[in-house]
Amino acid sequence: MAKTILAVDDSGSLRQMVAFSLKAAGYQVIEAVDGQDGLDKAKKQTVDLVLTDQNMPRMDGLSLIKALRGMTSYQRVPILMLTTESGDDMKAQGKAAGANGWLVKPFDPQRLTEVVKKVIG
Amino acid sequence: MVPNQVMGSQVKNLLSGVSDHGDRHLVEVETDLVQMNILLSEAIKKLGSSFMAIHGALSIQQETVNLLLSGGTPAPECVARLEAIQGEIGQHVNAAVTGLQFQDMTSQLIGRMVTHLSGLRDVFGALDTGSSNVLPESDHEDIVTLLNSLNQMLAERSVALEGALRKAVNQRHMESGDIELF
Repeated sequence: MAKTILAVDDSGSLRQMVAFSLKAAGYQVIEAVDGQDGLDKAKKQTVDLVLTDQNMPRMDGLSLIKALRGMTSYQRVPILMLTTESGDDMKAQGKAAGANGWLVKPFDPQRLTEVVKKVIG
Repeated sequence: MVPNQVMGSQVKNLLSGVSDHGDRHLVEVETDLVQMNILLSEAIKKLGSSFMAIHGALSIQQETVNLLLSGGTPAPECVARLEAIQGEIGQHVNAAVTGLQFQDMTSQLIGRMVTHLSGLRDVFGALDTGSSNVLPESDHEDIVTLLNSLNQMLAERSVALEGALRKAVNQRHMESGDIELF
């Protein structure tokens, strides 16, 4: 059965690119338009990996990670940040919040797929 | 300080405050526009190149398909080339996907510029409101009070501007970004 990835980003074109890349590699992708939508969808269905942007309306990526890590079902689910932010301070905040990795945009589909495979197989 | 000196000092503060505040907003807008231009140029170059490469690969593929459809037998090297082309198309599509992400970055830069222009409009709006409070019969003290409140408003706006200055998009190229696993 294909593993499911929750892709959270307020940019429709970016979500489309992520879904295109990961579906081509055999993953199932659920899309969410911001952190709040991501949290709502994560509550409805536990996924195998969360890939989230940082700067989004309603709820940002760091808040989403903190909320997910507060849920029993998401304490061990890998969470990767995919963002334009590349500062060390932001990465440190992400790590402290519970992120398992940091990917700086723009992404290359092949490299993204390799990282996802490395993390969830 | 004598009244004229107080007013002179307040006017000087106001003018230099407006100038500094406006300058900071406009420098940020200018920097973002330059960055956006670089990202758009790179993205268009990347997408154009990917598009042409995909078109070229598909044309070669089509020639082989036409040959097969007409009953001909493609040479072994042609078959090998056909297999290689599929991989090449995949690479070009990947490059195009990276290039297409310009929209995400440029929309963030545009958002920042809108915030700066809106901040500038707020300051001008407040100055306009303040100036409408100056009446022909306003005395020296009224004008000093008004100048004082305008200077305070500018100081508050400058503090607010500090919070809006953090730059989320630092990318100067449309190449794949760094990856770090914790």
